[in-house]
Amino acid sequence: MKNGKIRDKVLNIYGFIQENLYLNRPDLKVSDQPFNSALLFSLLTALNCGKQIIIGEPGLGKTTSAEYVCSLTYRFPLGLIWASEVAGHPEQTEEKIVGRPDLGRLNRGEEVVVWSYFTQLPVKIVDEINRLPETKQSMILDGVDRGNWEYLNDAIINDEYCLFATANYQDRGTNTIIPPMIDRFDVIVESRHPGANIAYQIGLKDRHAATLRDKEYERRFKQVLLERADYEDKIEKIEELCEGFGERMRKSFQIEMLSRDERSQIRDIMEDLPLDADANAFLRTVIAELSFCCKYGQKRSEETCDEGCHYTNFLCHKTANCISNRLPTTVRSYSQSLAWLMGEESVSIQHVKTVLPYALAHRVQWRDDYVFQKQGDSRRDSLQIYMAKQAVGEIHRRYTEQSHHIKNALAVAYQVLDGKEMEPVEGDHPIYAEINRDIEEYSP
Amino acid sequence: MINPFNDFKSYPVKRREIPLDRIIAVKHETMEQIIEGYLKLAETEVKEMVWLVEHSRIVKAYSAALETIGDMEYDIDDIEEFCLELDRGNRVPYLISGPAGIYISALCNNVKDERIDLKLFELKRTFHFLGYRLPEGKTLILDGNVGDFIGTGISGGNLIVKGSTGNWAGAGMLKGQIHIKEHTGQNTGEWMKGGEIRVDGHIRGIGKSIAGGHIYQGEKMVFPQEKETEN
Repeated sequence: MKNGKIRDKVLNIYGFIQENLYLNRPDLKVSDQPFNSALLFSLLTALNCGKQIIIGEPGLGKTTSAEYVCSLTYRFPLGLIWASEVAGHPEQTEEKIVGRPDLGRLNRGEEVVVWSYFTQLPVKIVDEINRLPETKQSMILDGVDRGNWEYLNDAIINDEYCLFATANYQDRGTNTIIPPMIDRFDVIVESRHPGANIAYQIGLKDRHAATLRDKEYERRFKQVLLERADYEDKIEKIEELCEGFGERMRKSFQIEMLSRDERSQIRDIMEDLPLDADANAFLRTVIAELSFCCKYGQKRSEETCDEGCHYTNFLCHKTANCISNRLPTTVRSYSQSLAWLMGEESVSIQHVKTVLPYALAHRVQWRDDYVFQKQGDSRRDSLQIYMAKQAVGEIHRRYTEQSHHIKNALAVAYQVLDGKEMEPVEGDHPIYAEINRDIEEYSP
Repeated sequence: MINPFNDFKSYPVKRREIPLDRIIAVKHETMEQIIEGYLKLAETEVKEMVWLVEHSRIVKAYSAALETIGDMEYDIDDIEEFCLELDRGNRVPYLISGPAGIYISALCNNVKDERIDLKLFELKRTFHFLGYRLPEGKTLILDGNVGDFIGTGISGGNLIVKGSTGNWAGAGMLKGQIHIKEHTGQNTGEWMKGGEIRVDGHIRGIGKSIAGGHIYQGEKMVFPQEKETEN
């Protein structure tokens, strides 16, 4: 199928959810087209095999938005997705989340694992992840990161999977999401109140209507998942059922869902989209500002940069931690998916600028004094997304003022390391210090 | 060993031929000259208290701008930096959008390069009269939204606006092309004598006195309109 046709399918899925299932207010513009950030990023996460955390007040559609996107992009009936969801609560156990021994076979002395729906399905939703105690969050770290699920002496690996986790704002029953866990999420979005008028429209909808449910298919899917068969074989059988369910939805609602091959094709095309020079140099500039420390070589959360540092006006002076290496991976892949969705041939600085706040908000630890300074600002986003947007805007302004100079510095650095006799470019931004340090350390 | 700058292998390198402090000094000096030229123009124009858009005044302001620029040595980066300075710097005490736009146009029309790419999307203000009298052989790309009277009196140049424009776009243009990638306001093409205006988005209104040229909204020609045949 032609690339354009698949893109139309994806845009139709977005439109179908927005108009029928998750009514919301646009809060983001991409190439002047309005989008809702929670829905757009959920769609990109599903296509991209990403991991997304959705924050928001109770009842504002955090879980439902993810469920709809998963159902339509992976062709699963809603009831199956509900059955596979993991609910975050203090009594949760590995046996409920990952898998359990087959007790009948265990009585006969055989060690056989019954894997949960959650581990087997390529769409994973963890509801209210911050109600899982810190110790139990570690239990799913590896699975979240690599799709690698282990129990007893057995293991299954998800070749294709996406993960959504919802989190409420802090209350008496919530816990902190541990730093290694939070960093594994590619993006964070807020499912926001849609406004009085759309909320009123939501109230008019039949609360028992479940467009994407199909009891017969749900039963058949579960039957396959419970079979004592090889995981790879089960995945093939599941795809056949997906085909049938997708066809039924197409006939009933004139909505075309995505097949496994189409998703794979989309990912192949996305991965080939190059970042243009500005997108590339801008991302390096952002990473430099968020990881650089003049005095200690790099940011470390246990060390505080002294007052009087030359770089006090840059963001490195306002953050406590060093940005992780997962950031560029996230930004690159989500910017590529966004550029693909908009029908572009390459990733521009605008795509990177759109994705960055959502990839940064949960990863940056701001210094307390800076949070205190910002928390009273008038804003529409949650504080962490707002601060990330402000930060990206600030770096973008600095980049725009000297983009030619930065790109030239990078080009000169290439030539120097390639053995040419050239003077490295100097400038007043951490990116120049980082470039020149690489020249110094990589030079023979 | 991986060269971490491999992506910039084919990026054209500007060789440093003089020390950085010298470059900075020269840049600073150039900017001072550009700002001084603008202030001189603005001082003359501000005397009347209200800056009215009149043909004679625009022509006079443009001639004064050209005279001020004279043999000034500057490049596209300097023009872009000047726009930023006008927008948010503290070296320009007052900004009058009309004369500022005419001055920027004069800078663009006299710069050595044939292709001028100005990134304006970060600016809080919009300037009027950008692309004024853009001559043949020059391509001016304005990346961002711009103000009124864009491309007034274009004389053969190619103006591309990657954003929306205000009213009176292409007023009095003689020949050349204006391509507006988003929307444009009222009186588009007023007093136009030749050339072509293409608007990808919406045109709020076309001028009432258009003598020649063509205006397209998307693929559709909206001026001159084909006469309907009476049945």
